[in-house]
Amino acid sequence: MGLLDKLMGNNEPAKKADFSDVQSGSSSTAPAPAQTSSMGASAGGTYTVVSGDSLSKIAKHHYGDANKWHAIYEANRDKIKNPDLIHPGQVLTLPDIS
Amino acid sequence: MTRRLWIIPCALLAVAGCSKKADSGTDTAATPGTTTTAEALSVSGVDLGRTIDANSRVTDKTDDFKPSDTIYASVATTGTSPNATLSAKWTYQDGQVVDTTSRAIAPAGAAATEFHISKPSGFPKGNYKVEIMLNGASVQSKDFKVE
Repeated sequence: MGLLDKLMGNNEPAKKADFSDVQSGSSSTAPAPAQTSSMGASAGGTYTVVSGDSLSKIAKHHYGDANKWHAIYEANRDKIKNPDLIHPGQVLTLPDIS
Repeated sequence: MTRRLWIIPCALLAVAGCSKKADSGTDTAATPGTTTTAEALSVSGVDLGRTIDANSRVTDKTDDFKPSDTIYASVATTGTSPNATLSAKWTYQDGQVVDTTSRAIAPAGAAATEFHISKPSGFPKGNYKVEIMLNGASVQSKDFKVE
C-alpha cells in the first residue's frame, strides 16, 4: 500500500469528512416514560421545526400541553424574535419542565 | 330391515361419543391466562425521506439525498413498553459516526419515532447507513446515498 502510494505520488493521508456541524433531533408519537415528578411535562433535548409547526403544536406534542409554548419561547429567545413566526429547519431547545 | 334400522342409531351414538371426546380435549388445552399478554415492543419498519408528517411518518420515501437535505428516519414500532430507548446511529462510508441520537419512549401500541440529521455546510457525497437500536440492541439498518 505504501509502495503503491509512492508509485502513484500520493503521499497525503486521506482527508476525513467533517461532520462537526451536523444537527440532529427526534420526535415521537409515543409518550415519554413517566417522570418521577408530579407534573406530566418532560421533553429536554432539541427539536427541528418542520413545515406546519407552531410553538403551541410543538408544546402539545412534547409536553402534552399547548400552553407550555411560552417555555419553549423563553428557552429560545435568541432564535425566535416573534413567537408566531418559526421557520422549518430551526433547531429549538426543549427545556425540561418539572 | 329391522336390523338395518338399529344400525343407524348406534352409528350416530358412536360419532357423538367421539366428538365429545374431541371437545373435552380442546377445553383442557385452553388454559386460562395464557392467551392475553401485552405484546412486547418491537421495531416493525424504518423509512427514510426528506419530510415527515405530524405523526412522525415519512411522506416521501427515498434513499437518495442531496447534500443540503434534512434526512429523516421514521421508525415504526408495535407493542407496549413503560420505558424503552430507541436510538439512531448514522455512519458515513468510512465508518465515521455522523451522529447518534436516543429517545426514551413509552408506547402503548403502534407508534412512530423520527430521527433526523442535517448539515448546514452540506453532507459529503457518498454512502451512509442509519442503524436503529432498541434498548441498545441493533434491530434494523438502512443504507442511503448522498449525491
